[in-house]
Amino acid sequence: MHPAISVENLFVQYKTKKGEIVDAVKDLSFHVQEGEIVGFLGPNGAGKSSTLKVLMGFVNSQSGNASIFGEAAGTPESRKQIGYLPEVAMYYPFLTPLETLTMYGELQGLKGPWLKKEILDLLDLLGIGNSAKKLNRSLSKGMLQRVGIAQSLLGNPKLLILDEVTSGLDPVGRKELRNLLKQRQQDGATLFFSSHELAEVDMLCDRIILMNKGEFVEEKIVASLKDELQTFALVYSNMTSLRGLTDHIVVRDIDKFEARFGTKEAMITAIGRVQAGGGQVLDVVAKEGSLENYFVETVEAAA
Amino acid sequence: MKFTAYKPLARSVLLESLRRKDLWVVAILGFLIILCAGTLGFFGFDGLEIFAKDLAVTVLGLFSTIIAVLTSCRLIPDEIKNRTLYPLLARPITRFDLLIGKLMGAVVVTWISFLILCGLTAIALTVFHVQFNVIMLQYVFAKMIGLVVICALSMTLSIYLTPNASATLAFILAFGTPMMTRGLTMSATSVGPFGKFVYATINGALPQVQLFDIGGRAVYPNWAPVPMWVIGFLVAYGMIYSFAMLGAGWLKFRKQAV
Repeated sequence: MHPAISVENLFVQYKTKKGEIVDAVKDLSFHVQEGEIVGFLGPNGAGKSSTLKVLMGFVNSQSGNASIFGEAAGTPESRKQIGYLPEVAMYYPFLTPLETLTMYGELQGLKGPWLKKEILDLLDLLGIGNSAKKLNRSLSKGMLQRVGIAQSLLGNPKLLILDEVTSGLDPVGRKELRNLLKQRQQDGATLFFSSHELAEVDMLCDRIILMNKGEFVEEKIVASLKDELQTFALVYSNMTSLRGLTDHIVVRDIDKFEARFGTKEAMITAIGRVQAGGGQVLDVVAKEGSLENYFVETVEAAA
Repeated sequence: MKFTAYKPLARSVLLESLRRKDLWVVAILGFLIILCAGTLGFFGFDGLEIFAKDLAVTVLGLFSTIIAVLTSCRLIPDEIKNRTLYPLLARPITRFDLLIGKLMGAVVVTWISFLILCGLTAIALTVFHVQFNVIMLQYVFAKMIGLVVICALSMTLSIYLTPNASATLAFILAFGTPMMTRGLTMSATSVGPFGKFVYATINGALPQVQLFDIGGRAVYPNWAPVPMWVIGFLVAYGMIYSFAMLGAGWLKFRKQAV
């Protein structure tokens, strides 16, 4: 079975207005398997949008291969299976969401009363059912983003490629969208999205792919990454030597110390030492790591 | 080519144009036509039938060309500028399909505008008992085919040039081709075979919009209708030229990074 997305040794270059050649993507390779939710991360200018544009056929790569479910990326055949949300959602100002989505649906090959029902259901699901017949120009940025999300979900595509999906949405909208996307995954869809909202990535993704300056940096399973980033704190009495286990020891009070460990195993060993030394374990705390710190540190290390 | 893609694309162009009140311009122009006719009536219309018809076809030709150029020139650049192109190109259609659908939309808007103007002109002339004949209908039909050529030309130019530059060039070609063709034909008599070939090539590349304008004959009440084979030739030339223009636009647009 073909992966949902396959990118191999992709190079993308742009010509600036001054005629200079800029490398937007350099030798990028990754795969997204069917049914996964993968976050595509990187700072501004990392090459995320360029990669997504190659997948959609909006720009051509200089070399390398990109495919969608085995079909060459950018062809009408490959796009049949994709729902795409662009980074900046703009829709015809003098059409209504209903007309806009009808047009996109018909271009997708959908038609008839079934299409209208799907559109109205989607608009209701996204909380803009009441605005179905208002002109797009009268809608707020958040509502337009919902129109954009609705157009990407039309026809129940097997693969959703979403560029900055939560942009313009309020916290309630974000939560609803998260639930909606999770539901789509459960129904068999694959999600590949870029975002700067690391909290969304944390809550939604199975895996992340990190890019910087056009190059692949690393990919991580989110659950494993959370384990890696988790730290453990041990509060204990009695000055016990924890040499070799940690250097992070803070004196909290007279005869009360807090030691921090990068792994659970180190902490368990430390508990043993404290107890063997006649000390008392007062508290054990597992702390979630910050995805933001990981992101910043990894990008800086890769720079 | 995906025929099911053309209708939704064309419909969106028409709806946008209607709601943007572009056709109000047509209504204003129509009002001007009626006003002109009223002025003629005020000063006496007897013996001025040919003059009135001539004025009407001139005004119709001018206004419909302006509408065709201005509608077609901004379609693709606006899609790119407003970023509405992305969700369109994300659909399973080719860029050629997109161009055809957009052109169809521009043609429908132009035709509706032209027919409204024709209707208003006809009403204004009927008030003064002007007689209409078959050749007038042929004039309307031929003009509609000519407007397709102007729309295709304008849209293609807008893919290569800025909207303003493409509109300017489209106006120059739409209004200036008869003069350029005359100049080229006269110049070709005084050059060698290679020069003749160059002139003929340039002439062939120019949109021969004057072929579609049979208004000069249509204004005379006794002029016989144009033979059907001529109308058939005009349709064939119009379609071939328009497809050639679309093809030229597609050559750039198909690989254009958006």
